[in-house]
Amino acid sequence: MADIQLEVRDLRKTFRPGLFESDVEVLKGLSFEVRRGEIFGFLGPNGAGKTTTIKAITEIIFPDSGSIRVCGLPHTDLEAKRRLGFMTESPYIYRHLTGREFLRFCGELLGMQRSGLEERISGVLDEVAMDALADRKMGAYSKGMLQRLALAQALLGEPDLLVLDEPLSGLDPVGRRDVRDIILQQAAAGTTVFFSSHIIPDVETICDRVAIIVDGRVRAVGSVAELMSDEAEWSEATFTGAVPADLRTPLLASHVGSDASWARVSSAHRDALIQELADRGARLVSLNPVRSNLEDLLMRHYEGMGS
Amino acid sequence: MRAIVAIAANTFREAIRDRILYLFLGFAVVLLVGSKLFGMLTVGDETRIIKDLGLVAIQFFSMLIAVMMSLLLISREVDSRTVFNILAKPVRRWQFLLGKYLGLVAVVAVNLTLMTLLLVVVVWVYQHELDFMLFFAGAMTMLEMAVLAAFATLFAVLTRPILGSLMTLAVFVVGHMSEDLWLLTRQLPGAFARAVIATAYYLLPNLERFDFHTEIVHDLPIPAAAVVWAYVYALVIIVLVLYLANLRFRRKDLM
Repeated sequence: MADIQLEVRDLRKTFRPGLFESDVEVLKGLSFEVRRGEIFGFLGPNGAGKTTTIKAITEIIFPDSGSIRVCGLPHTDLEAKRRLGFMTESPYIYRHLTGREFLRFCGELLGMQRSGLEERISGVLDEVAMDALADRKMGAYSKGMLQRLALAQALLGEPDLLVLDEPLSGLDPVGRRDVRDIILQQAAAGTTVFFSSHIIPDVETICDRVAIIVDGRVRAVGSVAELMSDEAEWSEATFTGAVPADLRTPLLASHVGSDASWARVSSAHRDALIQELADRGARLVSLNPVRSNLEDLLMRHYEGMGS
Repeated sequence: MRAIVAIAANTFREAIRDRILYLFLGFAVVLLVGSKLFGMLTVGDETRIIKDLGLVAIQFFSMLIAVMMSLLLISREVDSRTVFNILAKPVRRWQFLLGKYLGLVAVVAVNLTLMTLLLVVVVWVYQHELDFMLFFAGAMTMLEMAVLAAFATLFAVLTRPILGSLMTLAVFVVGHMSEDLWLLTRQLPGAFARAVIATAYYLLPNLERFDFHTEIVHDLPIPAAAVVWAYVYALVIIVLVLYLANLRFRRKDLM
């Protein structure tokens, strides 16, 4: 049994739209690994290459070069596909099928034995809280119901690796919490979860490790704590009796309010700001340390896209 | 094998729930109204006219299903991205294609069986005896439709749906003009034009090989060799065309 459940090495993909349109290089040597049992977040802005990577993993598109291994096997191997559960972004549906018929169809594609299939279908429907709605046509489902059913089909084959493309996008807070809980339950049961998202708080909350992908390359990989360890701390000061524009201390950001002024300063300049405010006879109302978060880190990577 | 059957069954179920079998009602109306009308206009040989009309209508409505379904066959799965769910599972692309093809053939077969049964009943009403040769005609039309369905599958992976349907329709029309194409290659003055027509003649199937309407309507003998040859010919074309479809589809990026 491999300890690396998903291994992507130097993946490159260029789309060639047509004769009169220029080529689009989406993946530019993308590499990362997902370890057994972890929840791995794949974070990046729209167009960064997240969905393209997932489509390559699931053999929906073919990379120009590079390699992908799922559970230690080449991703094209049928056994690798059997051990992978996949949910697309905004699940697409057969309107003519009921939820239960859809799962039966998925079970047949997975080669599951008929004898145990109905029982397993009932099990996953229960797991995603869709058992009461399973005999309704999928065309009548809400987005949240579709998302849960899509998750049910991904879980149906009891996969070792779950690959979920934007599983939390477009859901209301209750739906997001439900899907998040299912992901956590799966991870607790030993399933490796790889999911893409651009919803930072969810990634921050549930992921063991995160890869930040920008412009077709992985810019950073690690746990949220590891990624944040090099990040600067700031202080935010509120004061009266001085205006930020007059201060000599370098400020990262400032704002003049009707009652008081506000300024953000790096940790290195915090003491200088306190001293300068005292020298000017200004009154320091509050001074709070603020640690930069994952969103700030991402924004730095996004803003550095062109560099 | 189970994956192929599951995909075929799903394609079949989708078509049935899309009410594609309503086309059978169109056939029923054409047959019943047509036979009444021709029965009034002709003297004596009305059963032959009903058979002729019925067999042509069966062929036309079956072709209509193949053309209409080629619109939906692959493109609906790709456009609605349900294909992603299928191909991420332990399913090879050729299995997906073959499943879709067999689903299309099954829809045509069910419709064709219903239409043939109705024709047999109508002929029985007029002739007071069962004409089993109509079942043979139905089987040969099915063979023709299996060939047409293979082309519909090929065009579904090669091009956009509307164009694919038009191309399937073109294969049907030109496939019934094969003999004329051959005559044309001998009569055209320019070498280039002759070469173009000859290429079309060799590339497109001769669907007339499956057409035994005249023999059945006029009670003429049907050579067994022609029937065997028709089956072999159909099988070769179907395998070849589906192989070409797979060649295009197996490494195609689905967006």
